[in-house]
Amino acid sequence: MPDAALLLQIAFGGLSMGAVYALLAVSLVMVYKVSRIVCFAQGEFFVIGGLTLSALTNEAAMPLWAAFLATLALAGVLGVFAERIVIRPVRHEGVGTVIVMTIALSISLQGIALPVWGREAHVVAPFVATPPWEFFGAFLSAQVLLVIGASVVVFVLLRTFFERTTLGLAMRAAAETPTGARLVGISVTRLTQFGWASGVALGALAGMLIAPVVFLTYASGTMPMVKAFVAMVVGGLSSTAGALAGGFLVGLLEACAIGFVSSEFADAIVFLFLIGFLLVRPGGLFGNDAGGGM
Amino acid sequence: MPIRPLVHVVAYLLLAAAPFAFGQLSNYYAEVLTTVAVFVILAASVDLVVGVAGQITLGHAAFFAIGAYSSAILTARYAVAPVVAIAAGMFLSALAAYLIGLAVLRLKGYYLAMATLGLTAVTFTLLVGVREWTGGAAGFGGIPRFRLAGFEFSDGRHYYLLVLAAAFLVVVAARTLLESAYGRALIAVHADEATATALGVDASRYKVSVFVFACALAALAGSLFAHHLRFIAPDDFTIAQSIHILVMAYLGGIGTIYGAALGAFTLQVLPEFVHHFKDYERLGTGVVLILVLAFFPGGLYGLVRGVGERMRLRRARLGEAAIGR
Repeated sequence: MPDAALLLQIAFGGLSMGAVYALLAVSLVMVYKVSRIVCFAQGEFFVIGGLTLSALTNEAAMPLWAAFLATLALAGVLGVFAERIVIRPVRHEGVGTVIVMTIALSISLQGIALPVWGREAHVVAPFVATPPWEFFGAFLSAQVLLVIGASVVVFVLLRTFFERTTLGLAMRAAAETPTGARLVGISVTRLTQFGWASGVALGALAGMLIAPVVFLTYASGTMPMVKAFVAMVVGGLSSTAGALAGGFLVGLLEACAIGFVSSEFADAIVFLFLIGFLLVRPGGLFGNDAGGGM
Repeated sequence: MPIRPLVHVVAYLLLAAAPFAFGQLSNYYAEVLTTVAVFVILAASVDLVVGVAGQITLGHAAFFAIGAYSSAILTARYAVAPVVAIAAGMFLSALAAYLIGLAVLRLKGYYLAMATLGLTAVTFTLLVGVREWTGGAAGFGGIPRFRLAGFEFSDGRHYYLLVLAAAFLVVVAARTLLESAYGRALIAVHADEATATALGVDASRYKVSVFVFACALAALAGSLFAHHLRFIAPDDFTIAQSIHILVMAYLGGIGTIYGAALGAFTLQVLPEFVHHFKDYERLGTGVVLILVLAFFPGGLYGLVRGVGERMRLRRARLGEAAIGR
């Protein structure tokens, strides 16, 4: 029986990575909801969010809140441009073409980030300068708590947005039946743009929140994104609640695999879980999209 | 086989052999072109699964790895003849593809893409983790040169010709398959699985069988790759590699096989020309890919064919003018 401190430390680690995966998965779901596209460039939005925050706070010496808002705004603009220039030309093509197009976007964004930020890792100072708290021998930093809290807040906000506001309801309608939505006067094009702007901003938000905890380089977005894919698929592709639950599930599973098996095989365990999950429940935990977006 | 596509194959062969004609094929270019030929096999085989049968796979690097590590372990550790090792690798890969295919090919769209992506990730982790067999992250060295009937391919140029011949055979075989009744059944499954099934096409059997065939070819590419570099490491078999192979097929023109060959050639050779702008190479690749996908859905092959078509039309019109019509 492993001691309580170890178990608790594993749980904290799992929850903090889980929160990042959850935020990223929610940002993927946002894009998926409005355009039925799983974006393979989400890892780059994540990385560019973190790196921009680092550049603005370290080099430009902006106050944190201003840098934070500026990065979110930049990410939103990036989302609008990405949708207009890259995604719209292929929106009626098959899943394969769309995947490769978002891969092309990901390669291009890495291509921009590389000359701008170089190959070295960048770091951001923690948002609050409190020393880590100790609970029964396990340590928990304020930043980690912030990440977990942010994922919950984002979830509640999105939930309210999609359930209670006209814009949110219109977005759901546009995603489910674009023709029907157009008939009742909803501009699907505008909503798609809005969805991409907020999806990219959410991805950048995840990157900004985790930047003080991990070192980010121009290429470090792939693995978190792939884990967020797992979370998204487990949640059923189009469910925000599913993505949140999936994110924490993947984070905890990974932490347990690292803690009890070995850090080397952790990824194998996560992805075997994904494949097994898909075979048993191809519709996800909360979703009903068994067609995989086809 | 129709005549016109054959022209393209000949063109591709000439392109690959061109340096010979000028007596300039240095060992360096032989090395580069050998890698190109390996990727032609990979891209053509992924095109069979994705472009022809419509099953999106991001798992090709896993089967590439099975071939590479089978050849490496069998020839370096157990002194098995390279040809036998290739056969063993292809068999193992086909068997794995059969078992995995039965399970995952029931999935569709993004779910299939994610499951096969997971497959690549699992394989990569195992290559790093099972150190006693694979050498772990440090890689597997000391792979002997390729030997066939007592002849050792110690000259890189000779080995290049061998791999080129293999790539040529794979492209022709895949294209023949595409144009056969079997290929038409695959295209029917791609277009509309329910209708194809209603017309008596056993969709599952076709999907699994083409997956098995393509994965055996990926293993062949892996074996040839292992004997080429004589050192392999898990970094050759990442998610990025699976993506790279898929991108080649799309850049060249999906579902045409020749396009895959063109895409492989372009993506592998292009960096040779732009390596002075090292930090901008990725941006260049990404932008070219976006432009091709957005404006030429038929890929580079579609572009080439389109130009050929237009020239033929012009010639025909000129001919009409000449006879006074």
